[in-house]
Amino acid sequence: MKSLELLSEYSNYLEEQKLEGKKIIAFMSHDSIPEELIDAAGFIPLRLIFAGNDDLMNASHDYLPPSTCSFAQSCIGYFARKPNLYKFLELVDYILLSNHCVSDICVSEIISDNFNVERLNLYVPYTRNESAIKYYKIELENLRKELENIIGHEIPDQKIKESIDKYNLFKKKLAEIEKLEISGSQKLEIFQKAILFGPKILNEIEKLIQKNREITSNDSQTESNNKKVIFTGCSIFLGDYLMDLIEESGGEIVFFNTWIGHNYISQIYSDKILNSTDDPIDLFLYRFKTNIYGDHSVPDSLDNEISYLETFINEYQKENGEKLAVINHVIKFCDHFSLFQSTLKERLQNKGIQVLNLERDYSRANRGQLSTRIEAFMEMI
Amino acid sequence: MSLFTDDVVTFKSVLRLAYNFLAGREYLKKKKFKDRRKLIAVALPFSDLVYSAGGVPVFPIRMEKFNINAYLAALNSATNLFGWDLTTKLLTFVRQFDVLKILDNVLDDVIHTINHKYNELYELGIENGISSDFCYGITSLTGMFISKGKNLDANINYTIRCSAWNKYSESIKKYVPKEIWVDIPPRDMGNAVELLSENIKAAIGELEEVTGNLVTDNSLNKQFRIGNQVKRFYKTILYEFSASDFYPCNPATFAEILALLGLSFQDYNSNAQRYLENISYLVKEMRKRIEKSIGMDVKGMPRIMITPVFGGWEPETHEILYRLGARTIYADWELLGMLEEINVSKNSDPIEEYAKYLLNAMMKGVGCDQEALTDSYIKTAKDLNVDGLVFNQVFGCHSISNCYSLLRKKIRKKLEIPTTVINFNKIGENVEQVKTRLGALVEMFR
Repeated sequence: MKSLELLSEYSNYLEEQKLEGKKIIAFMSHDSIPEELIDAAGFIPLRLIFAGNDDLMNASHDYLPPSTCSFAQSCIGYFARKPNLYKFLELVDYILLSNHCVSDICVSEIISDNFNVERLNLYVPYTRNESAIKYYKIELENLRKELENIIGHEIPDQKIKESIDKYNLFKKKLAEIEKLEISGSQKLEIFQKAILFGPKILNEIEKLIQKNREITSNDSQTESNNKKVIFTGCSIFLGDYLMDLIEESGGEIVFFNTWIGHNYISQIYSDKILNSTDDPIDLFLYRFKTNIYGDHSVPDSLDNEISYLETFINEYQKENGEKLAVINHVIKFCDHFSLFQSTLKERLQNKGIQVLNLERDYSRANRGQLSTRIEAFMEMI
Repeated sequence: MSLFTDDVVTFKSVLRLAYNFLAGREYLKKKKFKDRRKLIAVALPFSDLVYSAGGVPVFPIRMEKFNINAYLAALNSATNLFGWDLTTKLLTFVRQFDVLKILDNVLDDVIHTINHKYNELYELGIENGISSDFCYGITSLTGMFISKGKNLDANINYTIRCSAWNKYSESIKKYVPKEIWVDIPPRDMGNAVELLSENIKAAIGELEEVTGNLVTDNSLNKQFRIGNQVKRFYKTILYEFSASDFYPCNPATFAEILALLGLSFQDYNSNAQRYLENISYLVKEMRKRIEKSIGMDVKGMPRIMITPVFGGWEPETHEILYRLGARTIYADWELLGMLEEINVSKNSDPIEEYAKYLLNAMMKGVGCDQEALTDSYIKTAKDLNVDGLVFNQVFGCHSISNCYSLLRKKIRKKLEIPTTVINFNKIGENVEQVKTRLGALVEMFR
């Protein structure tokens, strides 16, 4: 129900923005897209973070084989079907193609070629060595030029810097949400909304944090009997029932180690870094260089993730006396997370951490099976 | 199946290529333990740097023990005693008394043996946790590393547009002592050539550490020259012989030769000079046969390009097409831009030229996007002047298999040749569908 409200609110917001003459750039959500640059150019960045279903996946089969990532299939399905709640996708002016994964390339191309949406490109190198950083700079400058060509004037550095500051402040606030004593589903709703609306909802986030602090200081702490878990792997997208299944099964997600969650929020610049340069492109490069947990890059993404999870779990245990288990969410046919799932599980289990590899697509028929697997895991913890 | 076995047993160069592919294990053992050379794994045709560094590149399936070894051992003994010339003459003679028809299946056995091993290694990949949702190529390659990775000294990876490939490359680091990376920029923009050159230099530095040899401009150019010659011969087979009205052998056998070249081109059977000699001899032999009218008149048989096959395909395909009265062309490396030559002119910088070669393959062949990739299909089909195109849609392939919808549209618009799609998951699993689809396709030529 809440996702319906959110979508309706978002739809109204986009319509208002369009009336004001703003243009919308959609892209499949990931961490190397400089949304601040898009914002500074006066566009609305629209991250495609919408979960799929059978109809949407089926609608993509004219363009892609069914053995494609369910999320990618669904992204095409949204443009092919334009379901009522997603009518706002008709407002999209541009699709920004990137190579986060190869499905990102294919889907963006298909949307552009078949649904009358112009295409922009931003390719991201796979490693993070010196040459890769220099190459990323070329791509960023190219995107900047493409955007400038559309708007007909330069995007001043100062404006990009302001946008970076704005998003930085916003992410710092979101980081506070991570620590609030609210349910996993509440946190997720906030993260999803934040990723859609961006800093526009900063006040709302601040109020929510304040309100929650007041409630927490007035209430006596009650211990929850729910099983506490970290959620990692593929994000939970808007409209997905997975969160409900986890909570109905007695699970409580205390940490979202996913793009919609910590991976996005943690990309914060310190004041020292922000003040270290006048060139905003340097800040994007810094973020790219230090983003060691991004799943796009090779060759150490898995090692970094495992090491991060282990550290987090150990520290949590020290602070709270509880050992967290891990749910590793894998959307079927996802190149990045599917290939590593057995190794991730094996290596974490060797460290005494329990892991549930939850591989699934968006078909309704899966719901019962998923529920059973999650329940069994919660009992096992 | 090699229906014209006479062709095969006297096809010295083909026997050599097949033998060198399958007898890799013994050869590599010798190189590793006796000659103290370093074995470095390659997949896809990326062996040049390894050769330049004095390493021994190996497409890891060649480290396996193949069932055909007993026969090959005999062949090897014979060639050691009599040399290849006498041995092939002897084989021709022996064939008259070959009641067991062992020789009838020489090349057929080679291809089937390789494919049987592929399936075995695919299963090994699955047993070790690779999801069956991944493509056959990646799963079986993982199986190869699980099986024999410990015997390698290093592995060289090149980043390409396929994210599953890049992640697979990361995943195998647990099976090999060292990984060396060449990060290819996704597009040829700005000073991408210079940046890629830096990455190549870094990889060379690591190769030097592994092999203990120094890589020089000379060693690079020497290898590129060998590679260029190999590519020229390969192209001659594709463009001249495959387009001829008279084949030096049965078209099914010809397709098997192309399949064998496709596999062995990845590491040049671990000896580039020997490979060059073999492929050069293959071209000579083919030409001589055609001149002498040894082989088969194939006029009127439509030429069908089947692609992509490098990530796995149903090897019965060319036999089915032959029985339906068509010829099969496998030309993946040409299509992916891997048969382009590397400039070795006097004042050129070999590292920069290699970078240009790689970027060209990425932009035009492998394709930074579907548009470029499908253009490359159209261009190759046009250049090879094929009569039909069969798209091999590999289950779980998210990089190339995804482009069929766009490709079909382009073929209709730009080529107007019959096309169909066949689905592939694992060897032997989908033969009936392949038969039906190919049957319908060939009907269109009647």
